[in-house]
Amino acid sequence: MKRAFLSFLMVAMVLVTDHAVQAQLTTRPYRIYAITFRGKTDVERGFEDYFAARRIPVVITYRDLNRDNSRMPGFIEEIRRTKPDLVYTWGTSVTLGVVGTYDQVDPTQNITDIPVVFTLVAAPVLAKIVRDLKNPGRNVTGVYHVAPTETQIRAMASYRPFKSLGILYTPTEQNSVVVVEEVREVSRRLGFSVVAKPLRLDANKKVTAEGAPEMVKELKTQNNVDWLYLPPDSFLGTIAQKSIIPAAMSVGLPAFASTEQLMETGALTGLVSRYHSIGQFTAYKAEQILVNRVPPSKIPVETLTRFALQVRMDVAEMLKLPPPLPMFNYAELIVPKPEDRIQNSLAAIAAETAKGATAQK
Amino acid sequence: MGTIRVRFIIVALVVSFFAVGMAAFLNYFKYKSTISSIVRSRVLVIGRNIENSVQASLSVGMQFMEIGTMNALLARERAADRLIQGIDVFDHTGQVIYSTERARVGEKVPNAWTDAAARSKTTEWGTEGADEYVAGISLKNNFDLTVGYLALRYSSEEVERAAKAAGREILLASIFSFLGIALVAPLALIVVIRRFERDLRALEAAASRLEDRGEATMTAGSAFDSAIGNLRSSLRDANSSLDDLRARLDSAG
Amino acid sequence: MLEKNYLWRIYWRLAGVIMVCVVVALAVVSYFSHHVFDQELVPETEQKAATVAASVRALVLKATSYGIDFSQLYGVEQTFAEVFEENPEFAYMAVTNTDGNVLYTRGTEPIGARTYFRNAVVLQMAHETTEISNSARVGQQYIVSVPINDNGKPLGILHVGIDAAFVDHVLLEVLLDVVVVLVVSLFFTLELLNFMAGARLASGLGEFARQVDRMRSGDFTATARVRANDEIGRLLRRIDSAIDHLNVRYEFLAGELQDKLRTAVGARREALKPAQHAFEALSKRFRFGAAPEGADLDEMNLNRIRAPLFAFILAEELTRSFLPSYVNQLLVNIPGISPQVVIGLPIMLFMLIVALGQPYLGSWSERVGRRRAMLVGAIMATVGFAGTALAYNLYDLILWRSLCALGYAMVFVAAQGYVLDRTGQQNRAQGFALFIGAIMVATVCGPSIGGILADNIGFRASFGVSALMALVSILAINRLPAIEAKIAVTKPTRGPRMREIMALLVNRRFMTLTGLAAMPAKIILTGVCFYLVPLYIVSIGNTSAMAGRMLMVYAVMMVLIVPLSASLSDATMRRDRYVSVGLIISGLSGLLLLLSESFLVLFGVVFLLGLGQALSIAAQSALVAEHCQEEIRIYGNDAVYGVYRLLERLGNALGPLIASLLVIVWGYQGAFIAISALVLFCGIAFTVATHGSDWQPAPVPQ
Repeated sequence: MKRAFLSFLMVAMVLVTDHAVQAQLTTRPYRIYAITFRGKTDVERGFEDYFAARRIPVVITYRDLNRDNSRMPGFIEEIRRTKPDLVYTWGTSVTLGVVGTYDQVDPTQNITDIPVVFTLVAAPVLAKIVRDLKNPGRNVTGVYHVAPTETQIRAMASYRPFKSLGILYTPTEQNSVVVVEEVREVSRRLGFSVVAKPLRLDANKKVTAEGAPEMVKELKTQNNVDWLYLPPDSFLGTIAQKSIIPAAMSVGLPAFASTEQLMETGALTGLVSRYHSIGQFTAYKAEQILVNRVPPSKIPVETLTRFALQVRMDVAEMLKLPPPLPMFNYAELIVPKPEDRIQNSLAAIAAETAKGATAQK
Repeated sequence: MGTIRVRFIIVALVVSFFAVGMAAFLNYFKYKSTISSIVRSRVLVIGRNIENSVQASLSVGMQFMEIGTMNALLARERAADRLIQGIDVFDHTGQVIYSTERARVGEKVPNAWTDAAARSKTTEWGTEGADEYVAGISLKNNFDLTVGYLALRYSSEEVERAAKAAGREILLASIFSFLGIALVAPLALIVVIRRFERDLRALEAAASRLEDRGEATMTAGSAFDSAIGNLRSSLRDANSSLDDLRARLDSAG
Repeated sequence: MLEKNYLWRIYWRLAGVIMVCVVVALAVVSYFSHHVFDQELVPETEQKAATVAASVRALVLKATSYGIDFSQLYGVEQTFAEVFEENPEFAYMAVTNTDGNVLYTRGTEPIGARTYFRNAVVLQMAHETTEISNSARVGQQYIVSVPINDNGKPLGILHVGIDAAFVDHVLLEVLLDVVVVLVVSLFFTLELLNFMAGARLASGLGEFARQVDRMRSGDFTATARVRANDEIGRLLRRIDSAIDHLNVRYEFLAGELQDKLRTAVGARREALKPAQHAFEALSKRFRFGAAPEGADLDEMNLNRIRAPLFAFILAEELTRSFLPSYVNQLLVNIPGISPQVVIGLPIMLFMLIVALGQPYLGSWSERVGRRRAMLVGAIMATVGFAGTALAYNLYDLILWRSLCALGYAMVFVAAQGYVLDRTGQQNRAQGFALFIGAIMVATVCGPSIGGILADNIGFRASFGVSALMALVSILAINRLPAIEAKIAVTKPTRGPRMREIMALLVNRRFMTLTGLAAMPAKIILTGVCFYLVPLYIVSIGNTSAMAGRMLMVYAVMMVLIVPLSASLSDATMRRDRYVSVGLIISGLSGLLLLLSESFLVLFGVVFLLGLGQALSIAAQSALVAEHCQEEIRIYGNDAVYGVYRLLERLGNALGPLIASLLVIVWGYQGAFIAISALVLFCGIAFTVATHGSDWQPAPVPQ
């Protein structure tokens, strides 16, 4: 089994570009042990690109968890054996698997003596990876990827000013509940109203999509909200494309996405972190540890200072809400291929539900 | 009576020279800085256009060193304003990565540029060379790390020409107003000086008659009346005492 | 003295006339400048407007390329607003369609704009596909127009309006500096009047007044002095001749009386008795003969110190408003020391050298001669300024500044000695008023002009101006009388001994005065005025000229209030109350920054600081004599005042250090507030400490 892991892709990047680097090259490259969650993504490409651009010699050993937590002990064992200079972890589960929560560290199961940089963790404090973003305090630092709630709200307002904001969220997902609380807090400062509706739970206390489209429509017709905000919510992500977005489009309610995945479901606009940039930023943190010798416990956990504002031009056209002129300077305007246009996907979904309905009959 | 009058007039001339000179100096430099900032901000408008494109490329994951369309973009933007002589993009070591002139790629920019960029507290910076000025923008990536610098080189001729023309006119205006003051000030001062001189003359006249025994024939209204009165009475007092002594001596035979 | 006031009235009148002339001349220069600005700035701004318009057009065309209808654009006004923010001289922007109807607009629309937009010639532009722009005067604006044309398809026209009054705004910014120039000119005028004509007039009139007083008291002794050949000289000669006549008469009568007394016997001697009595009475009432040598005080030469001192101090004061910024530019990273402290280092070192050097330089200047000491000091400072102007980095800058400091201390001490040598008990205060006056006028003129210079010709060239000014002072010092006036009674001054310093350091009364009043006052002065203000002003994006104006406010407060409080504290209120009130006002000054961060508040800060310092400064040193009589009896006047001055000047050196440490911890505003709070605390502590009965004013010793 272990053999299989070891046969995984191994990437060694050694760049020789000019004489200035020659001296540096005589020292051995830094060894980084990277664990991904679902294979390589753009984050890893950004991570590698940064070292290349800065001409820092690194050898990165990639291992993929492939959503299977049983593989973790093997990785830990390998880290102990090979003693890399740095461990890179992708996502909350991988990170927790390697370093544990700050209140329950088990030196036999967690890595404590090798610096760890994590990336793409949505809420490092909530996940108990660090106590304080500014001052991690343990041998761990990293980058989170969700734009601060207030930044998102302001981005929404700069697209179209609003008085009232509607939110749909999963009450059993702590992450979403926290974000909704944050939105309420921002609303008190900036002066707008918030209508937040939790999705229904079934008899087993499991969240269900039942009634979600009706709730969306009510937000517009009864509560008169100007925007529908889609928080970073896993369950919401799975039902957005099929039921939330069509409902919103049918009543002309623009949706704002908080993550790239939600953006892909057909929201009008959203503030997302570019995975490539996140990877570069993670590499920057790694540089601080490896080259500048700053202990991870003193390196703050941060997110990007600039996010990509994406706009779906086909959705804007259908809603008759063109982006404001200044946005053409900085927004990423997405024009999907004709077959992916919102009109077509809505029609397809409508046809599918109609089919489903007749089939049930 | 001449010396004091001349001295006062010299003071007036020196002070007016200072004031008019400073005013001319201030106006000239204000003019120069205004016109430079107008021209610089015009150049920077084009710089911002380039910055936006770079930012867009970076944000979709392109490497700063590998933006393929960059040289074409620079050439296009350079054509937008005849003032701009060339546009360079260089990295933190000062090495040119992209340029409107192929030959400059790989060259080092002058240290003054990297210094100016490093010193600036905002993303904008600028330096003034001998025959060309540079307006620059520091290019930052998505986590505020400066990845490179954009430098727009533009002709100093425009600013220099305007400054020279304005400088000449301001200088002329200052010389004329100084000459004007040189004519008017002595006349105006004489009014005050006359009064002063009259006081002094009265004083001198009074002093010349200090030993006259007669009653005071002072020109009234001088500021020194009481002082002169004092002097006269002390002198009279002393003299009358001496007279008394004389009389006693005489009476003693 | 009537005559002195009379002279000042004349000065003020002359200064008034000169000022009126200067204001007229400045108005003329401004008028012509306006003309020039109009002529040259407008076309340049139109070019810029065309470039900005092209950039906005590119954005509009980008939007339409995404299929958004030209008339359905959203947020165009927002784009306009952003343009206005970057370019305050633009007052109006509009987009019209090809018929000239306004689609999007923001700002103040000039009268006649709508007609202009529909003008056929203007509308024709929309069909242009090349890079063109058109400009015309419409109402109160210059309108720059560019076509919006999508690859041959005319969409409309974009207009940018430039406010024609923007040139006025540019000149208005100069106006503030021009006002500073006016204030400085006024002080220059008074100083120059005093230098060019006044020294002679003042001493002449003073001599006249003393003569009047002497004669009134019956002193008719003749002075064998050479009178100048001017109005006052002639007047004095008349008086001299009148006195000579009296003396001749007296001599003659006295001789005759003596003769007669010698020859007379018996009845004739009796007959001479009344004459003899009269002569004795006369001799009692009046004094005749030659005046005792040396009794005359050299007032004219005393006055001559003022010009060189002014020029020299001005050279140093010029650098006040921009020195920290200059250091900032030359900054070298010194490991282990924060850059904030490093910036304060040259100022600190300067003050330290002045503080420690003064006691020893005093006796040195006495040995080598005041004039020579001043010359050496001024030459050193000139070299120092020139070196500072050419400094390579922080290290040699510190060396050059130390040279300046040494020169400064030498000139200061020697000039002080020069005044001491030429004044007696009765006119010493007047002599020091002259000394302080020259310094104060220099503090008014220096920082403001220095700031203006630094902004326009750069830090290095401004230090060059300082070097030039120091050079001028060398020439002026050179003209001082080469003969040293020595007053026999003065024993050589000496620096305080370590034993005395230690003894006084633990003395409660002495330290209450020094530690709670004198030192904090100096700390806040150098910490705030020389360090924080110049750096903070520049850090919030303002100029060195603004820092100079701030320092001028402080100096003007000093000039106005110090003479007032000096005369008041002698008369109306206990001196220690003045010190308390002054300290507390100074201490409240920085707390103003709690209210707002605006730099206008900073004006309030320096205003209050100046007021507070001015109130307490005169009373402080007088308090030492008043309350430390016991100590003065034990250690001597020189030692007590020596230690007092030394500690006070150490406060000067501590100011920038404390301020820089505070900046590291709390930032600029925090430092302002903390340093003020410190002084406020000292002020309150001083008030409490001096409340007791042993601080009641001592009976005036008769």
